[in-house]
Amino acid sequence: MYRHAYQNGNAAYPLGGSGTFSIQPHKFQPRSHPLKRRRQLMTRLGIVGTLFCIIVFFFFPNLRPGGTSFGLFSSPEDSQIETVRYYDLSNVQGTARGWEREERILLCAPLRDAAPHLPMFFGHLKNLTYPHNLIDLAFLVGDSKDNTITLLKELLEDLRQNPDPKMQFGEMSILEKDFGQKVNQDVESRHGFAAQAGRRKSMAQARNWLLSAALRPTHSWVYWRDVDVETAPFTILEDLMRHNKDVIVPNVWRPLPDWLGGEQPYDLNSWQESETALALADTLDEDAVIVEGYAEYATWRPHLAYLRDPYGDPDMEMEIDGVGGVSILAKAKVFRSGVHFPAFSFEKHAETEGFGKMAKRMGFSVVGLPHYTIWHLYEPSVDDIRHMEEMEQEKKKKEEEEKAKKERMDKIKDTFDTPSRQWEEDKSKLQNLAQDAKKVADEPKKQVVQPDKIVEARGEEPEAKVEK
Amino acid sequence: MPTPRSLRRTNPITFVLGAILLFGFYIFFFSSPSDDLPSTSTNGQQKKTASNALSPPSLPFRKPKSNNNNNPPPEVVHYYMSNLTTSRDPIANQETVLILTPLARFYQEYWDNLLSLNYPRSLISLGFIIPKTKEGSQAYALLQAQITKTQSLPKGKRFASVTILRQDTESPLQTQNEAERHKISNQKVRRAAMAKARNSLLFTTMGPTTSWVLWLDADIIETPPTLIQDLASHDKPIIAANCFQRFHNPETNSPDSRVYDLNNWVDSPTAKELGAKMGKDDILLEGYGEMPTYRSLMVWMKEDGGDPGKEVELDGVGGTALLVKAEVHRDGAMFPAFAFYHLIETEGFAKMARRLGWKSWGLPNYLVYHYNE
Repeated sequence: MYRHAYQNGNAAYPLGGSGTFSIQPHKFQPRSHPLKRRRQLMTRLGIVGTLFCIIVFFFFPNLRPGGTSFGLFSSPEDSQIETVRYYDLSNVQGTARGWEREERILLCAPLRDAAPHLPMFFGHLKNLTYPHNLIDLAFLVGDSKDNTITLLKELLEDLRQNPDPKMQFGEMSILEKDFGQKVNQDVESRHGFAAQAGRRKSMAQARNWLLSAALRPTHSWVYWRDVDVETAPFTILEDLMRHNKDVIVPNVWRPLPDWLGGEQPYDLNSWQESETALALADTLDEDAVIVEGYAEYATWRPHLAYLRDPYGDPDMEMEIDGVGGVSILAKAKVFRSGVHFPAFSFEKHAETEGFGKMAKRMGFSVVGLPHYTIWHLYEPSVDDIRHMEEMEQEKKKKEEEEKAKKERMDKIKDTFDTPSRQWEEDKSKLQNLAQDAKKVADEPKKQVVQPDKIVEARGEEPEAKVEK
Repeated sequence: MPTPRSLRRTNPITFVLGAILLFGFYIFFFSSPSDDLPSTSTNGQQKKTASNALSPPSLPFRKPKSNNNNNPPPEVVHYYMSNLTTSRDPIANQETVLILTPLARFYQEYWDNLLSLNYPRSLISLGFIIPKTKEGSQAYALLQAQITKTQSLPKGKRFASVTILRQDTESPLQTQNEAERHKISNQKVRRAAMAKARNSLLFTTMGPTTSWVLWLDADIIETPPTLIQDLASHDKPIIAANCFQRFHNPETNSPDSRVYDLNNWVDSPTAKELGAKMGKDDILLEGYGEMPTYRSLMVWMKEDGGDPGKEVELDGVGGTALLVKAEVHRDGAMFPAFAFYHLIETEGFAKMARRLGWKSWGLPNYLVYHYNE
């Protein structure tokens, strides 16, 4: 107790001088007492603390100290982690009836500024009849300036949360990679001839990044699908798979407004090689890329798109050399053996056309279905928009003209009375006159019966009779 | 008088120590692995555990809790591939390496050498492709025994993941014996099959988090333990070590080494002329007297006591010990199984990478050693 007095500085002696002669404490005090008490207190505190910790850790596993992976309870967790995988690639060759053999499909879709089309695309996904749990989805989003990623995440999460287990897909991955492309994605610059080679090469690069990161040893098939496909059969995967070809594409058309003819071939990248094109290819330099569908390169190739017959057999096959990328179903073994979308000039072609060429080069079958058609979204080109504006203006002009005409007619009607109306008026006037005359003639009769009030009260009957 | 007291009294420090000990016990008992939750967003640098077996083979995964079909569908995983780096200092940047090996025969020395690499194993994924032959099955059995041994080690000491593929393409040659394997008539078929095997392995095991791919042949039995760091430190898209073979020289009756991998070369005008005269599907081969190409081979550029950091730009590369940035493969550079500019497999790969704008380099004084049959 005295010690405290000193520590407080309230003692009679100066603080520094408490040296040699001070004997503290002045009387015997068992020093163990406060210590003992303290010890007991600490023991109690310790026991209580221990119990508290045990209880808390037991009931709230989240509060358990983390960050370290050595531990008694963590070892079973550790053994839950599997690091070794074994696959036999001969089990994933891809067959005509994949849905019966539970063959997995990797669905790849490269995206850029695609937010407006995503809801439609996910609608298509939900409608696919191929077992959804066998479909793995992989998206590569690159250089997007709109909300593609956030929207995509939302839609995928919706898909995952679907309570129906049959509607749930397999692995879903979003790969985000910016390549720093300067090429515009709007319709006009996308399809301009000069931009084609560069654009095709960067598209090819994106496709390769997507595929190389998403392809797994479990996949038997790979399906490439553009998000801006508007109409496609729900059974498209099975329909294409049934042909049991290494690479297969449907015909791709697009609907048009009536004034443009109603419909039009869209994907001109599916074609058969021609002698002219081969001769042309020999004259071009190493890095040149032939792009189909432009007047600059007259290749005279038979295009899958132009061979369509709306009433033709949808199962009819046609051997092709270049393929379009809107909807490609390929066996995974094609990609495993190294075929990819050349981002350089491969036999004077790049991207999907080069893919077709390379697949052919490696001895795979590449086939198109001329009479099996899917429909690409119609996006009006700048010319179309101008034309539509003109049409709109014309329509407005016509409407205005009609309106003016109508107003004029009304005015004419208002200002000049038509003779027929005059006639009517005259007629009614004449009738009135005639009636008046009759009434005058009847007046004396009425006055005769006037004393008999009952007749009058009964009403018009007698009068009516009179009038008749 | 003071002796019994000091025995009875307890220093408060004891309590503090006791408390620390107790706390330590709690951590020990109750700690759980940090990566308890499946990764919802992997930013490329984080090496997490995937929630299911469908995840990229370059990541470990959690066993499903039960085998019934009520398992919830896997999480949507977002990979930020723009953040992937391939730098001079791969360990500091936590860059993952995928070591790929086409395996026809298993050599214990190969595995021992692999284990001697001092790159952090938690950043290494392994991939093997084994032909479906009797020999392949034997190799698989041996390999599996070693893998089980290594992968049952605790987390930091085992590889992040191991993928073993059995080849779907028929092996054109029944024998892997060296003399038969190197016959010129067999070369094109053999190397085409080899190219397909390499591509199958590459495109199925490369995940979205892989930064580097190291091609290491199954018969490479001796490399410096810092192989990965050394090759990566040059920061080249494609870089090859010089492959030699140790043997017992009967002339001097002492251990010696001789050249092995002839596919690392700088092109020559002669070879180009030769190629120009060839048919579309013919290939140029290196190291055959019937076909003198006069290319400068990297094996002959080795100087005794030369600087191991010396770089040479190459036009063709071999696959014995080759470090490639994953983006080169992702851009589409693969091993052509057909005549690509009259080149095939790894040599064709260098050419294809060149067409995509990636250059190949070699280290003539940095040696790795091949098994001697």
